[in-house]
Amino acid sequence: MIRLEGVGKRFARGDVEALRDVSLHVAPGEFVAIVGASGCGKSTLLRLVAGLVPPSSGQVVLAGTPVVGPRADTAMVFQAPTLLPWADVLRNVTFPLRLMKQAAGDTEARARALLATAGLAGFEHRLPRELSGGMQQRVAICRALLQQPRVLLMDEPFGALDALTREEMSLELLRIWSGLQMAVVFVTHSISEAVLLADRVVVMSPRPGRVAEIVPVNLPRPRGFGQEALPEFQAAAQRIRALIYGERLPRAA
Amino acid sequence: MRRSALPSLLVLVVLLLGWEAACRFIPIREFILPSPSAIWAQSYAVWPNLLRHTLATLGTVMWGFLASVAISLPLAMVIAASPAISAAIYPLLVVTQSIPKVALAPILIVALGANELPRVIVTFLVAFFPLVVGTVAGLLATPPELIELGRSCRASKLQELTRIRLPFAVPFVFGGLKVAAALAVVGAVVAEFVGADAGLGYLIQTSMAFFKTPLAFGAVLVLAAMGIVLFQVVSLAEKLLFPWSSGADQPPPGM
Repeated sequence: MIRLEGVGKRFARGDVEALRDVSLHVAPGEFVAIVGASGCGKSTLLRLVAGLVPPSSGQVVLAGTPVVGPRADTAMVFQAPTLLPWADVLRNVTFPLRLMKQAAGDTEARARALLATAGLAGFEHRLPRELSGGMQQRVAICRALLQQPRVLLMDEPFGALDALTREEMSLELLRIWSGLQMAVVFVTHSISEAVLLADRVVVMSPRPGRVAEIVPVNLPRPRGFGQEALPEFQAAAQRIRALIYGERLPRAA
Repeated sequence: MRRSALPSLLVLVVLLLGWEAACRFIPIREFILPSPSAIWAQSYAVWPNLLRHTLATLGTVMWGFLASVAISLPLAMVIAASPAISAAIYPLLVVTQSIPKVALAPILIVALGANELPRVIVTFLVAFFPLVVGTVAGLLATPPELIELGRSCRASKLQELTRIRLPFAVPFVFGGLKVAAALAVVGAVVAEFVGADAGLGYLIQTSMAFFKTPLAFGAVLVLAAMGIVLFQVVSLAEKLLFPWSSGADQPPPGM
C-alpha cells in the first residue's frame, strides 16, 4: 500500500537533516505505529506520505503511484483537533469533502452515521468550542474517516488528551478500524499505546531520523488492556524501550 | 461578560446631579461650565437644527467608515498573502499613521475643494488603520494545522483564503471594525473643524465663537452617543451574522 524507498528529507531552513534513508512497506489494512524520541522525524515521515512535503531523496509510492502532492485517498488526523471554530460538528466532518467538491447526496447521512458510531449522536449541530477535548478529537477522526481513505495518517492524535480519555479512544479507534479496509500509520510518544494498537511498531532514532528497528507485535485481535500483562506485550514494549533509550537507561534494582 | 448596567447608570446619575448642584451653588458663569439642565434646555430649543448637523456628521462618518471597510479588507488580504507585498506596503501605512490628520485636513480641502470628499477622506484616514492591522493579524493568526488540513484536502490558494483564513479572521475583523467605527466619528469631527458648513464639528466651532457653550456641550454629547451607537451596531451585526465569533474573545479550547 505504502512504500517508502530510501527516503531522505533535508530542510533548507537551518540545513536540518530530518530523515535519512528510510525504507518502509505498509501492507493494505495494516496498522503501523511509529515511535521515537522528539526530533526523530516522525511527523516529517507522516507529512511525506501525506504529500504535504516532498522528499529530498528517494520516493514515496502509494498504491503503485509516486506521491507528488496531497491525495484524496489519504486522510490525516493531527494532534490538535483543528476543527473550524465557526462550523458545527456536522459541517466540520463534511468539510474536506465539500472542499474537494466530492460531497454527494449521501454524504450527510454517512457523516451522521459515523458520528453516531463515535458516540457523538445529538451533537451534530454543536460548535467545536462546546465540546470537550476528547469529543473534538473524535470529530476530527470522523472527519478523516468520512473521506473513506485507504491510508489514515495520525500524528499523535491522542497526545493532547488526558490519560483516561486516551485509553478509551485507543480502543474505539481499533474497533472502528477493524471494520474498515484501511492502512493506518500512527505516530505516538507512548510505547504502550503503540504496542496495544499496532501490528508492527517502527522505532526511529533521532538526528538524523532513521528506522532503528521494526518490532512486530504478535498479539491476537481484538486487542484490549487485559493483554498488557501478557509476556508478548511486555517483550515488545521492552524491546522498543531498549531501542529508544539504548544504554542510557539505568537499570533499577 | 454581560454585567448589569445598573451600577454604572447609578454612578452617571450621581455625577450629573453633582454637576447640576455644583453649577447652582457655586457661581460659575454659564459660558465656562454650563449645568446639565442648561445644556438640555438650549440643545432642545434648537433640536431641528441639532438634528440637521447630526445627520450631516453621520453622513460623513458612514461614508468614511464604508470607505475604510472597502479599502482595508482587500488591502489586508494582499498584505497577508505575500511577505514581499507586506514589506513594501506596511512601512508606508505606518507613515500615514504618523501624519497628524488634523494637519492634513486643510491641505486636502484646498486641493479637493470645499465639499464632502475631503471630509470623507480625512475620516477614512483616521479610521482605516486599525481595521487593516486587525484583519492582517486575523488572516495570519490562522493555526498552521488548519492550513495544513486545507492543503491535505488539496485546497487552492483562493479556497484557503475564502474557506479557512477569512472565516478565521472574522473575530479580528470585527475587533478592527469596532475601533474603526469609533475613530470614524473622531475623523469626521476633525474634518468639520477645518472645513464644513454643517455637522456637529462645525456646530461646536460656531457655538463657541458666540460663547454658546451649552449648545457646544450638547453637540459633544450627541457625538459621544453616535460613537456608542455605532459601536453597538457593529457588535450587534457580529452577534447576528457570526454568532460563533462574539464568544471567541478567548480562543476556543484546543485551537
